[in-house]
Amino acid sequence: MTMEIDEAPQKVGIAARIVTPGTAITNDPAFMRGHGTFSEHDTIYSSVAGVVERINKLVSVRPLKQRYSGEIGDIIVGRITEVASKRWRVDVNSRQDGVLLLSSINLPGGIQRRKSESDELQMRTFFAEGDLVFAEVQSYFADGALSLHTRSIQYGKLRNGTLVTAFPQLVPRSRSHFHTLPCGVDVVLGVNGYIWVSKHVSASKVEANAELIYSDKNEPISDDEREVIARVANCIQLLNRLYVKITDTSIIFAYEASLAHSVKDLLTNDVAVELAHNVMARLEQQA
Amino acid sequence: MTSLLLSPAEQDYIIRGVESGFRADGRGSLDRREVSLRTGMISQANGSARCRIGNLGVGTDVLVGVKAEVNTWAPGEPEDLGSIVCNVECSPSAAQEFEGRGAEEINVELTQLLDRILNGPQSGLDLKKLCIIPKQAYWVLHIDALVLDVKGSIVDTLVWATRAALMSTSLPRVVVETIADEMGNMQAEFDVVDDPDDLTPLEGAKNLPISVTFSQIGKRYVVDASEQEEAVTQARLTVAVSPAMEICAIQKGGMFRGFPPSLLTEILETAQRIAREELTKFDIHYAQAKLHLSSQAEEPSTGSTFLVQF
Repeated sequence: MTMEIDEAPQKVGIAARIVTPGTAITNDPAFMRGHGTFSEHDTIYSSVAGVVERINKLVSVRPLKQRYSGEIGDIIVGRITEVASKRWRVDVNSRQDGVLLLSSINLPGGIQRRKSESDELQMRTFFAEGDLVFAEVQSYFADGALSLHTRSIQYGKLRNGTLVTAFPQLVPRSRSHFHTLPCGVDVVLGVNGYIWVSKHVSASKVEANAELIYSDKNEPISDDEREVIARVANCIQLLNRLYVKITDTSIIFAYEASLAHSVKDLLTNDVAVELAHNVMARLEQQA
Repeated sequence: MTSLLLSPAEQDYIIRGVESGFRADGRGSLDRREVSLRTGMISQANGSARCRIGNLGVGTDVLVGVKAEVNTWAPGEPEDLGSIVCNVECSPSAAQEFEGRGAEEINVELTQLLDRILNGPQSGLDLKKLCIIPKQAYWVLHIDALVLDVKGSIVDTLVWATRAALMSTSLPRVVVETIADEMGNMQAEFDVVDDPDDLTPLEGAKNLPISVTFSQIGKRYVVDASEQEEAVTQARLTVAVSPAMEICAIQKGGMFRGFPPSLLTEILETAQRIAREELTKFDIHYAQAKLHLSSQAEEPSTGSTFLVQF
C-alpha cells in the first residue's frame, strides 16, 4: 500500500508549522524520525495532521486531535462500561478500555478491612455500568491497557453534576486536578479529557460518612447552583471547541467574562468566539 | 434510540433540571439550540437543503435532496394526482448503533413519519398540481434524506431540512399539447422543457408544516432534547403544525411509556403556540440561506468546516 504524497521531496526547513498527512517535512539525512512521521526515499513525511516539533535531531509531529494516552500518576475521569470478574472495565477516552481492579478500590469500612468473597458478589453496589469514577492511573498492563486505582478519599464515584467531554490534549497535567472554583463549583479536570462539573460538597462531609463514597443519590441542588454549574460547563465546552487550554485559570477567566451573557447564549457562535478571544488575551497577559 | 450510558446521578441531575425548568446546558424547556440552514447544496437535484441543529458546529445534521421524475400512469393509481416518495437513511458514520443493520428500524420510523407529514391533503402541497395529464403522466417527487450526524432531536432537524428542500425545489416547465391522431381522436401529449433557466417553483411549499418534538423527562417535557436528555426520555411526541396553525400530524415515539392525558393536551396547545415562533425563525434562516446561495454561488460546499455554517 503506497500513500499519496502531495509534495515532491525537496529541501524543506523545519519551522513551527502545521502539516497534513503526507506532507514532506525534511530530506536532510541528519534528522531522525519521531512520532507521527514516516520516511520514504530518505525523506521524512508527516503521518498525521498536526504541528511539527523538533528536539535536537528528532523530528516529530504533535497531532491536533488524538486519543488519550495514559501515563502513570495521571488523574482521570472514567465511565464504567462492564463489570467483569474481580474488575471493572472503564471507558477512559483512550484506544482501549482501562481496568479498575476490585483490589484497587477502597472498600467501605476503612482501609483495614479485608476483602472477602461477598465483596466479589456485590461489586455492582460499588460501581455499576454507567457510573463515573474519579481515579488515578496506577500502572500499565502488558497490552498497554491502563490499570486504575481509587485508593484515596478524594477519588471514587462522581455525583451532583454533569460531564463535559473535551479534547484530551487540551487538559495539561498539573499539580492539582481537583479545583473548587470561587463561584462555588467543583471541577475535576480528567487528563483524559473527561471533565466533571459539580456542586461543591466539602471534603469533611464525605470523610465523616464513608457511605457517601459509593452513593448514587444527588444532594439537593438549588436552581441558582444549577445555573452556575451550567455556566461553568458551557464555558468549558466553548474553550474546548475553540481549542483553548483548559485549566482552572482559563475556566475562571471564561466564567468571569461570561457573566455578561445568559447561560444559554454562551454556546452561540458569536458569544463563544468573543469569550475565547477574551480568555486567550488574558492568559497571554498573565504569561 | 441512543446507546449512551449515563450514571444514576447524571440521570437524576438531568431529570431534576428539566422539572425545575433549567436544563443542563442552561436552556429553558422550550428553547432550541442553534440552527444552521443551507439550500441548493446538491446541483443535480431539483431542490436540496442541509440543516444542522446544535451548538458550535456539533449537532444533528441532515441532508435532503428532492428529485422530480415523470412517471407514466398505471391502472389502479389515482387518476389526477402526483405523488411523493420519501426515504430516510441514517448514515453509519453518524452513530455507532447505526452500523450494520442497526439503522433499519429508525430508517423506517423516520420515513414513515415524513410520509405521514407530507403525503396527504394536510401537507399543504397540492398533489393535483403534480399531475401532468390525467391517466397518463404525473410527477413523482423523490425526497431522499441522509442523517449525517446525531446529537439528539433527529425528527425536527429532518423536517426543517425537508421543508427547506421542498421550498427550494423547482420543476422544469411542461408543455401539454392536444393533437388529433389519424383517427381524428384528440390526444394529449407533453414535453418537458429542458432549459435550466425555465423552472417553476413547487407550488404550495410555503404551506408545508413544521414539526415540534416533545420529550417527556420526569414529570415535564422539553423541546429539542440533547443526546443526554434523549437517554432519559420516557416518551416522545412529534407534532406537525401548518402555517395556518393547524395540527397536521402526530407521531409518538419512545417505547418506555405513554403520556398522561393532561400532559398531552398541554403539549398540543404548546405545540401550536411555539410553532408560530418556529416558523418565523425558519423563515429568517431560509431567507439567509437563499441570500448566501446567491452571493456565494461559486463557493465549494465542503463538509462541516468548523464554525463556518457548513
